[in-house]
Parts: sequence; C-alpha cells; structure tokens
Amino acid sequence: MDLSLNGTQLMVRKAVRSFAREALEEWAGVLDRESRPLPSELTAEMGRINLWGIQAPREYGGADLDGISYTVAIEELSRVSAAVGLGVTVHNSVCLAPLLKFGTQDQLNRYAHELASGKKIGGFTVTEPQAGSDAASICTTAVRKGDRYIINGQKAFVTNGGTGDIFLVAATLDPKKKARGIAVFIMEKNMPGFEVGKVEDMMGVRGNMVSELYFNNVSVPAENILGRAEDGFRVCMQALDIGRIGIAAQALGIGMAAYEAAAGYAAERRQFGRPIGEFQGVAFKLAEMKTGLDAARLLIYRAAHLKDKGLPYSVESAMCKRYASSVAMEVCREALQVFGGYGYVKDLPVERYFRDAKITEIYEGTSEVMNIIIGNAIMKEFERM
Amino acid sequence: MLSILICVKQVPDTGRALFDLKTGSIDRASAENIVNPDDLHALETALSIRDTVGARITALSMGPPGAREALYEAAAYGADRCVLLCDPRFAGSDSLATSRALAAAIIKTGPFDLIITGREAIDGSTGHVGYQLSEILKIPLVTRIHAYNIEGRYITIERLYGHEYQKIRASLPLILSVGREDNRVRFLRLADIAVSSNTAIEELSMDDIGGREDEYGITGSPTVVVDTRKFNHTRSRESIEGGATEKARAIVQRLKKHGILQY
Repeated sequence: MDLSLNGTQLMVRKAVRSFAREALEEWAGVLDRESRPLPSELTAEMGRINLWGIQAPREYGGADLDGISYTVAIEELSRVSAAVGLGVTVHNSVCLAPLLKFGTQDQLNRYAHELASGKKIGGFTVTEPQAGSDAASICTTAVRKGDRYIINGQKAFVTNGGTGDIFLVAATLDPKKKARGIAVFIMEKNMPGFEVGKVEDMMGVRGNMVSELYFNNVSVPAENILGRAEDGFRVCMQALDIGRIGIAAQALGIGMAAYEAAAGYAAERRQFGRPIGEFQGVAFKLAEMKTGLDAARLLIYRAAHLKDKGLPYSVESAMCKRYASSVAMEVCREALQVFGGYGYVKDLPVERYFRDAKITEIYEGTSEVMNIIIGNAIMKEFERM
Repeated sequence: MLSILICVKQVPDTGRALFDLKTGSIDRASAENIVNPDDLHALETALSIRDTVGARITALSMGPPGAREALYEAAAYGADRCVLLCDPRFAGSDSLATSRALAAAIIKTGPFDLIITGREAIDGSTGHVGYQLSEILKIPLVTRIHAYNIEGRYITIERLYGHEYQKIRASLPLILSVGREDNRVRFLRLADIAVSSNTAIEELSMDDIGGREDEYGITGSPTVVVDTRKFNHTRSRESIEGGATEKARAIVQRLKKHGILQY
C-alpha cells in the first residue's frame, strides 16, 4: 500500500496548480462578483492543456490520466476558483465519463472528441423543479415517434446550462414505471425547441452559468439514447457515483484555499504582541482544519483508487463526498472566524470560499442522500449476517 | 533541422524551503524539488524555436538519480532527448566543476547549434554556468534576449541591456542565457505529462565524459563557503514633508544616493 502520489500525479498537481495560479486567479473574484463565465480564450486554453478531457482516451484528444490525477486536478482548480472546478468536473465526470462508458461507437465518434477537446462543453441533468432527491419522479417525457423521440419538459439547476453545448438529459418513457421508465438522451443545445431558461443568481459558484433548460417538442434521434433505453436510471446513478468524487475534490479544494488563507493570516496577524496563530484558540482551529482536510483527501483518493481498479466504489464515493463537503463547510466557517472582520468583507476571498463551500453539501446528492446510500449499504451488509 | 541543448537543474523550491542557520544549508526535506524556474524559460525558448523553424531538443541535467524527475518534466514540455549526468564523483561540485562536467557532456552528446541555459539557479544564484560554458566550449554567449529570429546559420537577436537596446546578428553555434523576463512559459498539457514518465533517460557517468576525478566534485571546486547568514530585508517608512517640489527634490536626492537615478 502506497499512500503517496506517483511522479505523474505530482506533475499533474504542479501543472494544474501553476495554470490555476497564473491564468485563473485573476478571474476568480471577477467571475464571482459579476456572475459571468470564463472568457472563451481561457476555456480554449483549458482545452489545449486537456482539462476538458482529463481521463478521456488519447484517441479522443484526452489526457488518459488515472482517477487520482483527476481528483488532484479538480482540487487544484477549485482551490483558486470553485466555479471553474465545478464546470470542469461536471463536464468530465457526469457528461463525458458516462458517454465513454455507455456510448455506442457512433455516439463516441460524434461527441467524444468534441467534448474531450473542450470544443463543446457538456452537462448532465436529472433534476426538475419538483424532482430533486427523488430522481425517479421526473416529469420530462420522451415519446417515441418513428425513429425519433419527442422530448418535452423542464430541467432545473443545470450546471454549465448557460454555456454548455451537449447535455445528458434524463426523461421518462413511462412515468408509471418510475425508475425503470427513465432513459438518458444525448441532447444538443442547437436542437430546435431546446431553450435555456433563467440563469440562477446564486449564493456561490457564481462563475458557473447554472440554469433552467426547457424542451418544447425537441426531436431527438433514437440513436441518441445513452445505453439501453430501460437502463437510464442505472446510467444516472453510475454517473453520479463518478460525479461525487469530483465534487468531493472540489470541496477539498475550497477547504484547502480557506485553510491556507487562515494559516497564513494567523502567522502574520499580531494581537497582544504575538501572531494570533500562537494562541491556542486559533492554533486548534487550524489543527482541526488540517486534520479534516487530510482525512477527506484520503477518502477521495481511496474512492478514486477503487474506481481505477474497477472495483465497486459507489458507497466510498458517497462517503468521500459526504465527508469532504462537511469538512469544507466547517473549514470555511472557522477560517472566516480566524480572519474576524476581515473575513466578512469582500476585499478578501475568504467569504467567497464560505459561500462556495455550501453547495458541495447539496448538489450531486445532498449530505442526507449520501447518508441514505451509506446507510442502505450498512443495512444490506448486516442484514445478511 | 537545428539541434538545441538546454541545461536543466533540479533545485529545492527555495521560496518555501527552511534554512538551517547552523550549517548554512537548505533543509532539503522542507521543500519539494522543482525544475529551476529560469531553466523552464530556457526550455520555452527552445520550444518556440522548434515551433517556428523546427529543432531537436536535448535536455541535459547534472544531479543525483532523483534529478530524473526534472528531466521527465522537461520531456513533458517537449524535450526530445533527455540526458542525466550522474556520478557520485560529481557530488559537491561548485559552478566551475559543474560547468566542466556539463561542457564535457555537451561535447560528448553534441554537436549543438544552440545551447540554452537559465540565467541562474534559485539555490545557488551564482549565474555562472552560462558564462563558464562559453569559456570552456569557446562558444559566444548572449544574455537578456528580448526577441530573436533564426535565418539559416545566423540568429538575429534583440536584447535589452540596462538602458541600451541592441540588435545583434550572430552565427551559430551560440549559447543563450534566458531569464524570466524573456518569455512566458507555456502551460503543460496533461496528455504530455501522462506519457512523459515513459521517456528513456540516457545516463552518463564520469567515465563516459572523460576528465580526471580531481577536476570534478569537491576537489575540483575552488569555491569555499566562508559563512552563510540570513538577511532580513526590513523596510522602514519615511514621510517627507513640504510642498510638491520639495518632496520631488527629496525623492530624487534619495534615488541618486542609492544609485537608482544616475543622471
């Protein structure tokens, strides 16, 4: 058992860290204040350095890296801009990854290269205004008409909704069948009847154009179903298993940014004649932060490692997301406390980290849903005994 | 096609490292090893030359076996060939002994049309190696390169030197020394990182490059470190009173006193 990063993983960390610091840092605050996406030149540069295809095979223009390198890249991006980390992880983990896993050769030919190179940005959507944690209760319908499906309905809180081009969309073929009636369609924004609704004015991750999507009689070719039609719910759940590792890495990145800012400030800020970090009240906060972040990182690496080895990782993915998101929230709360009044004003990024962290406890399944997944697994294990 | 050699040094990240004031050396465990920043600018110069006129880039590093990591990184950036000069007999070399070894390795692995070094390494900060290579190899050295254009066997270089702007034309082979003002290093592609660890690294020992043992390592190094001290750069605030003209005069006077303004 080796818990250290290998040479490739270390170089990925170095490379993404320097890209994030040198190219993204100046934008992080702007994206948040103005709730706007990255300039397209930067999105293109991210394509050149393979950030839109981190684990995609090289034949599609990806970097073909392992899952741990993937989490390292998302952590490093999110350390500087949680909004950018979000856009990248959603594109890679819940759009491109399921496409690569379930897609037919024809689907791969049509979409994999465009997505992995970042020429097209991807998203994934199950959630609707009245269907969140109860994903099987979605109302977006797909009705077969010859060799096409007609899609009608509305999606909510779609990450990359405003800027994305290609979306994996869950729709029901038969609402009576609940989960078994769900199919996943590959939909393109330029399909007639596909409309972007309101871009949400959010508390955090404001640089991602999270939006509503509307489908009015959108005609989608039957060959755009991802996986087998009746497998849609399974496709969604497996996509979320992958996605949660990325969100956990995003949470870790936000927490790291807050922790490092707080530790730096604690060493520099003097009160009562010494750095405040020398007071136990502050030092203990930093100790808790570091311990929690390290534990979260190990859970994330473990989930990624299991995935790389082709072993079951669904519960481990839920655990790392459950834990990393609450650590991020806790770390941001305490980091802001270390900064005192300076943490509460918008001159410093700590309040942004605080606002960004909260969403990690909500999307890709809330912490409560993570506990349901973990709890169900525990019961399954012990009821068998 | 041009053949370019770049010198790459693996250094501790001194910006983050702790110093042991008793021994005067860097606590190597306190910082991770990185490719010397100026050397990445040298590599960037080589890559942009390759982008425009085509070239084969060889990266040469002298160091312990761990310096392979620096060469893998050079390979990820695009170096075509990697050579590690590694021998316990080189241990303790100062800049002169290092330059002797590098020069011998350059002769052994060359010839090269261009040899590009970083201006200085962040651990020793001597900035000697470019000049010493030039002396030993009898190849001219050009520093502070602002822009360049290669035309056949010639290179036209625009350089900023102090207050002067020079445009010079030189014939190859040539040694260039490059620093952080000279270009902007491109970002690594993750796909190139993924394959860089498969790069074959050629290893050269003292026996491969020739020379006597007493020319290298501690015995071949005339430099003696007498003392290492920690400098504290303290800043003090001074407020100048008076009208605008008096204030300006006082500032000019201080700038002249410190040699910042000379005219």
